[in-house]
Amino acid sequence: MMPKPWLHGFLDLCLLAMLRERADYGYGLAQRLAAAGVADVPGGTLYPALLRLEEQGLAVPSWAPSESGPRRKYYEITPAGLSVLAEQSAQWARFRSGVDILLAPVGEAQ
Amino acid sequence: MSWPERFLAELVRLGVQQARARRLTEDTAAQAAEQACDPGGLFGPPHLYARHLVAELAAPVAAPPRFTQAGPVLLNLTGVGKRYRRRTVFDNVDLTVRGGEVAAVVGANGCGKSTLLRICAGLTRPDAGQVRRTRRVGYVPQDGGTAGWLTADEHFTLFGAAAGVVPRRARSTGAHLAARLAWRPEPAQRAQQLSGGTRQKLNLVLGELHAPDLLLLDEPYQGFDQGTYVDFWRQVHSWRDAGRAVVVVTHLLHDLSTVDHVLDLGEQR
Repeated sequence: MMPKPWLHGFLDLCLLAMLRERADYGYGLAQRLAAAGVADVPGGTLYPALLRLEEQGLAVPSWAPSESGPRRKYYEITPAGLSVLAEQSAQWARFRSGVDILLAPVGEAQ
Repeated sequence: MSWPERFLAELVRLGVQQARARRLTEDTAAQAAEQACDPGGLFGPPHLYARHLVAELAAPVAAPPRFTQAGPVLLNLTGVGKRYRRRTVFDNVDLTVRGGEVAAVVGANGCGKSTLLRICAGLTRPDAGQVRRTRRVGYVPQDGGTAGWLTADEHFTLFGAAAGVVPRRARSTGAHLAARLAWRPEPAQRAQQLSGGTRQKLNLVLGELHAPDLLLLDEPYQGFDQGTYVDFWRQVHSWRDAGRAVVVVTHLLHDLSTVDHVLDLGEQR
């Protein structure tokens, strides 16, 4: 699982990536993050991030009933969300390869 | 009051518009229901979650992290501790603030925020640890610091003289700095006739009058209305962007998304 401060920077990116795959609601997204081994995201971190995506027009919500229990707010990624995702994915790739280079033992790097 | 009612009330108190606050409250209730939790269990105390949410919503998703060209170290605390009689107020506090950075000192009432700031300013001696600071320091206390029977201009002259600034220049600098906080001092008005918020503006101007490199501010916005509060933070960010270092004591958590360091004195123990 990712240490907390790391998650803070990458949660939006992870959420957008999951929403690109399919629309989902808060609890479903939390389970997918946990299943991917990324993080156990507390509600107090997850829901503000989702509301922020909504308010900035990167995801649109719609209410849907559930078979059991209360109705759910499903989020769908918008074109603006897709372009932020593309941009941040590229940043992430650069960042990750930079860190990999630094982490590689000196012998292997040569 | 129930959790949603207290949450709504706090959102409104923090300046969120009624309709938006109600929508956020409904959303929050639905989110808790979705997780089959009560809101307190999922989000914690309503007033704290309200502040957290407001701060989170204010942060843009796509904003890249701000990489400042950090300037020289202007304040450095190492292992600083303070006791009051036999009680440890705080100990082992480390803090480094460089030019171009803003640090916030937070924590519950009574955890020693103001004392720590006075130690930063050199007005109180720590019982342990080391403090190094730049020579030019501006300190704005939470209250006091002004003389009731003097006018704003007389304050400018007096504080200017202490910093070796000639009276005319001190007065014009004071007027200029006051204008940035949307305040035009009345020539004959004494400090005791000013409202609490305006007296704090006078305090801020006096703290900045001699163009210090390090500004130490102790909850300087008491009595400010929303507009002045926004002006105040704009001012803090312009000091920062001009390469100065700023330390702000605050209890408003939604200030924290725009600062470089957060020192939580409540967490020390």
